[in-house]
Amino acid sequence: MGPLSREAWAQRLGAFRMSPSTFMAGAESEDLGRDLLSDLRNEKLSEPTKVSLLALSLEYPDKLWPDALAAEAAATFLLDTLLLLPPRPSALRRPLLLAATTTLLVGGALSPTSGASCRLLPLLLGLALGRDVGRGFGPTSEQRLLQATACECLRELESCKPGLLRGSLGLLRSLSGQAGPIQPLSMLLALVLRNTLVVQSRSGAGLQDLLVAGVFSPGGGSWDWTLAEEADDQLLPQTPSWPAAEKEPGLAGLEPSPEEARELRAAVAQLLDTSYLLTTVAQAQLLWLLGWALRGLRGQSPVIFKPQLARLLGTAQVTLLHSVLALKAAFGEALFTAQDEALLLRRLTLAAQHPALPSPTHLFYLHCLLSFPENSPLGLEGEEAAPLLLGHQLCRSLMPDLLNDPMAFLARLHLLCLLCAEDEEQEKGQVPSPRQYLLELLAGLRQRAALDGSPQDLATLCFQASYLVASCLAMQPSVVKPLIHGLSQLYRARPLLAPRFVDLLDRVGPELGRPLKEVLWQEVVTRPGKGEALCCHLQILEKVAEGGAHRATLNFLQAAAIHCTDWGRQQALLRVCQALLRTGGGDGLADLLQGLARQLEDPDGRDHARLYYSLLVHLAGPKLRVALGPSLATPALASSLVAENQGFVATLMVQETPPPIRLSVEPHRAKGPLPMLQLQVEVLDPAYSLELRFCVQGQLYAPLKAIHIPCLCPGRPAHPLYLPLQPRRPAPAQLHVQALYTTPTGLTCHAHLPPLTVNFANLFLPFPQIPKGSERDFFERLWDSCLPKGVESCVWCPLGPQGLEALVSHHLEPFVVVAQPPTSYHIAICLPPDSMLLLRLEAAQVDGVPVVLRTNDWDLLPLAGDYIRGLAAC
Amino acid sequence: MAQRAVWLVRHEPGTPVCGTVRFSRRFPTVEKRAKVFNGASYVPIPEDGPFLKALLFELRLLDNDKVFVESRDSCSRINKTSVYGLSVGGEELWPVVAFLKNGMIYACVPLVEQTLSPRPALISISGISQGLEFLFGMQDFLYSSQKNDTELNTKLSQLPDLLLQACPFGTLLDANLQNSLDNIGFASVTQPQKQPAWKAGTYKGKPQISISITEKCDLEGIMPNVTISLNLPTNGSPLQDILVHPCVTSLDSAILTSSSLDTMDDSAFSGPYKFPFTPPLESFSLCYYTSQVPVPPILGFYQMKEEEVQLKILVNLKLHESVKNNFEFCEAHIPFFNRGPITHLECKVSFGQLEVFREKSLLVWIIGQKFPKSMEISLSGTVTFGVKGHNKQPFDQICIGSTAYVKLHFRILDYTLTGCYADQHSVQVFASGKPKISTNRKLISSDYYIWNSKAPAPVTYISLLP
Repeated sequence: MGPLSREAWAQRLGAFRMSPSTFMAGAESEDLGRDLLSDLRNEKLSEPTKVSLLALSLEYPDKLWPDALAAEAAATFLLDTLLLLPPRPSALRRPLLLAATTTLLVGGALSPTSGASCRLLPLLLGLALGRDVGRGFGPTSEQRLLQATACECLRELESCKPGLLRGSLGLLRSLSGQAGPIQPLSMLLALVLRNTLVVQSRSGAGLQDLLVAGVFSPGGGSWDWTLAEEADDQLLPQTPSWPAAEKEPGLAGLEPSPEEARELRAAVAQLLDTSYLLTTVAQAQLLWLLGWALRGLRGQSPVIFKPQLARLLGTAQVTLLHSVLALKAAFGEALFTAQDEALLLRRLTLAAQHPALPSPTHLFYLHCLLSFPENSPLGLEGEEAAPLLLGHQLCRSLMPDLLNDPMAFLARLHLLCLLCAEDEEQEKGQVPSPRQYLLELLAGLRQRAALDGSPQDLATLCFQASYLVASCLAMQPSVVKPLIHGLSQLYRARPLLAPRFVDLLDRVGPELGRPLKEVLWQEVVTRPGKGEALCCHLQILEKVAEGGAHRATLNFLQAAAIHCTDWGRQQALLRVCQALLRTGGGDGLADLLQGLARQLEDPDGRDHARLYYSLLVHLAGPKLRVALGPSLATPALASSLVAENQGFVATLMVQETPPPIRLSVEPHRAKGPLPMLQLQVEVLDPAYSLELRFCVQGQLYAPLKAIHIPCLCPGRPAHPLYLPLQPRRPAPAQLHVQALYTTPTGLTCHAHLPPLTVNFANLFLPFPQIPKGSERDFFERLWDSCLPKGVESCVWCPLGPQGLEALVSHHLEPFVVVAQPPTSYHIAICLPPDSMLLLRLEAAQVDGVPVVLRTNDWDLLPLAGDYIRGLAAC
Repeated sequence: MAQRAVWLVRHEPGTPVCGTVRFSRRFPTVEKRAKVFNGASYVPIPEDGPFLKALLFELRLLDNDKVFVESRDSCSRINKTSVYGLSVGGEELWPVVAFLKNGMIYACVPLVEQTLSPRPALISISGISQGLEFLFGMQDFLYSSQKNDTELNTKLSQLPDLLLQACPFGTLLDANLQNSLDNIGFASVTQPQKQPAWKAGTYKGKPQISISITEKCDLEGIMPNVTISLNLPTNGSPLQDILVHPCVTSLDSAILTSSSLDTMDDSAFSGPYKFPFTPPLESFSLCYYTSQVPVPPILGFYQMKEEEVQLKILVNLKLHESVKNNFEFCEAHIPFFNRGPITHLECKVSFGQLEVFREKSLLVWIIGQKFPKSMEISLSGTVTFGVKGHNKQPFDQICIGSTAYVKLHFRILDYTLTGCYADQHSVQVFASGKPKISTNRKLISSDYYIWNSKAPAPVTYISLLP
């Protein structure tokens, strides 16, 4: 793309600023950084346009040059551009310096190996020290501004890479006493000094000669990359937050020699003495920085700050007073005696309500009062409290009144609550009593909130104030009682506030919550309404109705049902019923639900009523609560409708889970009319009301009956389970097993278990009622009956080392009809429904026995063959 | 002590988004530090669009903000400062310092140099006060001597360049943006050593000192005021709650401690109040004070009673004899809130004229430059109202039922209620050349309310004290 005109750039920059991410996703994005740089040298563009291009690179270097390589290239280009500027005044030099610094820092390209860094740093330091940095670097008139800018760039570099300028500390110090812009140099010196102290104390090194002027080497030898090279977590908070900072070891590791301590004191004193020449925001930064830097440093007394304090206390300038509070927090009694503390509190109180200050400042000072860093704090750390020295006298001017804006009102109300909570006895002598005043205020708020058509803000304020008072003074009946009474009056006047009442009930403790529920319930059931009021009543009732359903509640609902003509209201009505179910149902509830199931117009409403009715009559109390209660897994969704539905779904729907048990088929001594599968249970998770369902593939067997087990717990021995099989054909099969059970949390779960295999042998049954004494005849009759319909075959049964006798007794014992141990066995197996398998095992040899078999069922032949051949291996 | 980003948002109710971002500036080097310091609790600065939406929602400035939203309006979500948490993309951006003034929302996000969970107390975050100062500075710049939208737009267009000077890297160097503007102009001046950073250059004109004392008057016991090196007459009311400009170099401890919070006695310090200072170039407020004068300048009562369909009103005003009876203007405003338009009025004033604003339900009694010889004037009559129009008549959350007030607006030149004055001869100037010294004084009404004595009025605790 060729050079752009001013207008084209304005349009492009506008599009970028509108949404950088959208712009960068577009087609033009890749060229933006490149075009921007090249147009900086475009002579057709005016300086202001170029400045606005640089301003963009100051704000979004990460978008323009996203990696270190690109950032390095961009910074190099910016520095080249700087050198190419003609030696006349130019508005571009400052932004070019700022842009090069920002680009290197944000791109992560600042390092001793980066060419741009090695050019920028000496240039900045040279400019900051007021030295001649080379040919044509701007006219002298611009030097002062460039010097200040270079200081700011160095300060930012030192902020992001603490310790970088450690080697230049002495140089900077020697310079700050001489000519040069006072603020940039002071601020830079203060930061480098502070960082040096921390870095040296961490490494356990002394200050050495760092405070004394070094020699400026333009080659860049004075950069300390050791820390800058380390990970980012070496960043040092310039103005650490207490109390976290109080727990830090501070500078205990630093043990300056007496000379070093003297030098340090002189350096700090020099900075403080000229601090009045700085802008107020810079003064505040300086105090904050030096205060926390010297905290806990041996040989440095905080008294050095004292001359500044009286001057600072006279102003209520927010950054200055804040920095005094920071000094207070850093040094406590060492800098502020009890009298000083009292004076500071006085000034703070005064500033917190001074008509000459803006409201955000008032609010901030009120916050500072309640979080005041006291010399000897009594309360818990991090908890807001009224400082001890802030007596009733001072507090009086900070009492809330209805003319305050909402935030100021709440802040002042909090203070008033703290006063009322502090000591109930103390206030007896006071006229009027703060508590009485508090109650009047709350009444005023409620009156405003009750006003028809009053804005939401008033209602919000009223409920926030009520909550605040309830949480501070819940233990004082003289406050809680009128509060509850007032709130019930408010509800009567404006039922539309129902959502706020529900919210309040959700948040407050039982001291207020329980009696408030009671009065609201009274309010609702004694004043049935129609239309919007009815919706509100139902909303409240859902929250406050308790189980054991009062007759009055049920009567109310019964009456309300007539007015619930649309879906929304019916749902609201049903939600109350649901709440009643959850809290214990009650006698008349079933009747009500049954009535609703017939009476409601909306089919969805009728369905719900029917469902609740079924739940009520079928489930016991605890299970009912679980079924209706919110699920533990309810995701945090904005809509309560969805959330409730989720909970409902979770509890009433069957959950798919991994199986709670493991089943295995056990060998089993067959008897009875049907084959029986013996199952061993291994319990993995507790399961209640377990139902095991079996299903056989194909229609080999008749449908299997489910097995019910009331309770299974891991670690407790489980009885074996017996599953009767009703084969339609005598064939092995796979059983699919499903478990349906309840977890201890009440969820109903479903699990698929691994399939069970029914082997051929599992279907064997002995012939019943073999006449004693005539076994041989019996067997022969059977043998003969197989033919001609059936089949005879001969199979070689390999024998293991134990021999035939062991094999028979192990596998075929129940079926032996005639035995002549150890050589001959006649075996008859019954295979329901109507097959049989007859075996003659005779004339065993060493490694096997020939088995002659007959069956009346041709289909059995391959199965029997496989079975016999596999016996020895079993 | 730095800012991660700053915004100016114009609140535009009635438009689809209800506002536009008029200016924004991000500070990427600070953002990089925030990422490290905040660690897992780091939430990035959103783009302007999402920020605007979240800000307007949190400040309840969207047009459809009439419903209760639990996440914002819950009774337990109590915000007592101008610092907010904005929900952006499922995360909470905190701390956002923001306030609305003259239809413009000023907002910034200070850097917190530690993890944000648990949240540190605001008092321990240096960027909070800096952020406030930054925003006040922008507000002063935009609204000082600015009269219309064109001027506002001009000033807004100057902001990017100004911030390059005043806040190049997110650490504020000077909250007085006008200084930065002047700085550009003063670039070619060779400056002497020890030039204060808050003084953009050297003054080239004729030396002069101009002192103006403005006393503001309200009837609730606290009175805002402005002054310089000051004296009181023998019976003057002591000056209290004195706040001085940061350029004041030292303060007498009596000035520092004189406070309206103490019970008054004769031993109270009554001046002279000396303020040694180095003045900045621009005109500035050297100090603010309050005072408790024994009697209000205009005494009066207001009686309003509802009688069936009409209101019966009676206002009586009396100028205190010690007060200079020479006003620049004096008016009594009698508003009627939460009612319909005025349909019928029968009123009689003993002095001055009455103006009726029917649609606004407001009576303005123009008293003029002087009270009559008797010093006492009255207004009486009846007012009838029509049906309340939708949002046409003024709503007020305090003036419910018969709770009502008369508000006085007046200004008296060359007069102060405390008697406070600046003696031209007592001004000491240590500089070459004799400056021209001029002084003037004036008294301006501020919140001067007279409440209806026939109905409950909003009380303040102090006024309840015996």
